[in-house]
Amino acid sequence: MKLKNFFLMLMFVFAALSVSVQASEHAQEKVTQEQAAQESTYEPKGIGHMLASFYGTTGLKAILEPHEGVTNGEGEEMSLFAQGWGRVMMFAIIFLLFYLAIAKGFEPLLLLPIAFGGLLANIPIANMTSEHGMLGIIYNMGIANEFFPLLIFMGVGAMTDFGPLLSRPKTALLGGAAQFGIFGSLVGAAALSQYTGMVDFTLKQCSAISIIGGADGPTSIFIASALAPELLGAIAVAAYSYMALVPVIQPPIMRALTSKEERQIVMKTTRKVNKLEKLLFPLVVIVMTLLILPDATPLIGAFAFGNFAKESGVVDRLSNEMQNSLINIVTIFLGLGVGSKLASDKFLVMETLGIMIIGLLAFAAGTAAGVLMAKLMNKYSDEPINPLIGAAGVSAVPMAARVVSKVGSEEKPGNILLMHAMGPNVAGVIGSAVAAGVLLSIFK
Amino acid sequence: MEIDLVGESLKFMVLGMIVVFVFLAVLVQLMKLQAKLIEKYFPEKEPAPVTAKPAVSVVDDKSKMAAIIAAITELKKTKS
Repeated sequence: MKLKNFFLMLMFVFAALSVSVQASEHAQEKVTQEQAAQESTYEPKGIGHMLASFYGTTGLKAILEPHEGVTNGEGEEMSLFAQGWGRVMMFAIIFLLFYLAIAKGFEPLLLLPIAFGGLLANIPIANMTSEHGMLGIIYNMGIANEFFPLLIFMGVGAMTDFGPLLSRPKTALLGGAAQFGIFGSLVGAAALSQYTGMVDFTLKQCSAISIIGGADGPTSIFIASALAPELLGAIAVAAYSYMALVPVIQPPIMRALTSKEERQIVMKTTRKVNKLEKLLFPLVVIVMTLLILPDATPLIGAFAFGNFAKESGVVDRLSNEMQNSLINIVTIFLGLGVGSKLASDKFLVMETLGIMIIGLLAFAAGTAAGVLMAKLMNKYSDEPINPLIGAAGVSAVPMAARVVSKVGSEEKPGNILLMHAMGPNVAGVIGSAVAAGVLLSIFK
Repeated sequence: MEIDLVGESLKFMVLGMIVVFVFLAVLVQLMKLQAKLIEKYFPEKEPAPVTAKPAVSVVDDKSKMAAIIAAITELKKTKS
């Protein structure tokens, strides 16, 4: 019996061998044909000539001697400036981003991949951003179709704990007030292009820029790729750099708008939240989205799914995956893909400067509106509310809440506001997703 | 026709802020309602799991011990 099996096996092996031999003969024939074809076009050259023609293919020449007719990844012609000095300037900007990410710790998880993607995108001749280049493939795979930001949102949902919000529901309104940063800067962007003539933004572009005020990276990228993909690079860089600058931008505004007594307010400890409440919350949010703003479903749906998976407690494997491996993989792709928009011909334009200014304005306006709203609530509420927690209404989870807590404990040591600030903070994520849905619904 | 960008964006702002606030305000009310309902009909039994846990673990330990002893005796039998 065993012998029979052995022979059968041998026969199979021989059969397979003979097939592969035939195949390789076939392949060899092909190769010789190709060689013949190549030899007919290749002409022998002197070494000097070869060196000269090799220099023609170097990046050094492409940067030093820009010439007409060079196209970028999308097949558009690049200006001489963008080919030469533009690239050099971009390299400088990218090294600045590296410095900020590595030495200063500015959102390194995203700024580093974005900056490296920008570095690759600015390499001449290689055409990394073209349809068949690595960056182009990544971009088309998940950013052009707005897919990656949603996966990130899913992971963020799986990491978010709505407990602090559920224990004091009305702080959700602070997360709404801070969205004034989005709409205020929308007006700012419109005014900038209508009155100064420095830039010429369309309404769609204004909306895409203003979403920086939501202080939410994935939402910004989602909206930018839907409304104004040509501005994506600058918007993403502005959003992430300002998010990293939250500890610098927010405290002065928070101090300017509040009195010392207000900042020293101690808030009551929050009640314990029932597990069932946490489990039902994502479903409540989904039902509301479905009734009021279906356009926000992609963002809120992904977010709610992640959160539901976490709170259900029965699919820890899935929710751990979303919080760790999945979000890490997508972060790599998202960073590199966004970086592909840092090519010199796209980034070194007046619009980028405008976006940087409006982005800063947006962050400041959002913080101010949140703080003012919290002051108002403190006046009319039966329990004391520290106005500082309003600043956490801009999403930027959990950075904004940490900043609030830090400022609070500086004013009054031992006054820990972190958990109180987390409520408006996570409400801010929902608020900015809703604001994004409104903007999308307008341009439908 | 030239669009009045600022005028349009002001309208966006009014619409956007209203929707955001209405959304969150309704959400706040729903959260309060949900908390009340859950408190009333499905209150979490706080002390129950704390007292139940050690009892369960003792039983567990005992059965585990029994299993280990059984396994060891089985092993000894097969070896000898």
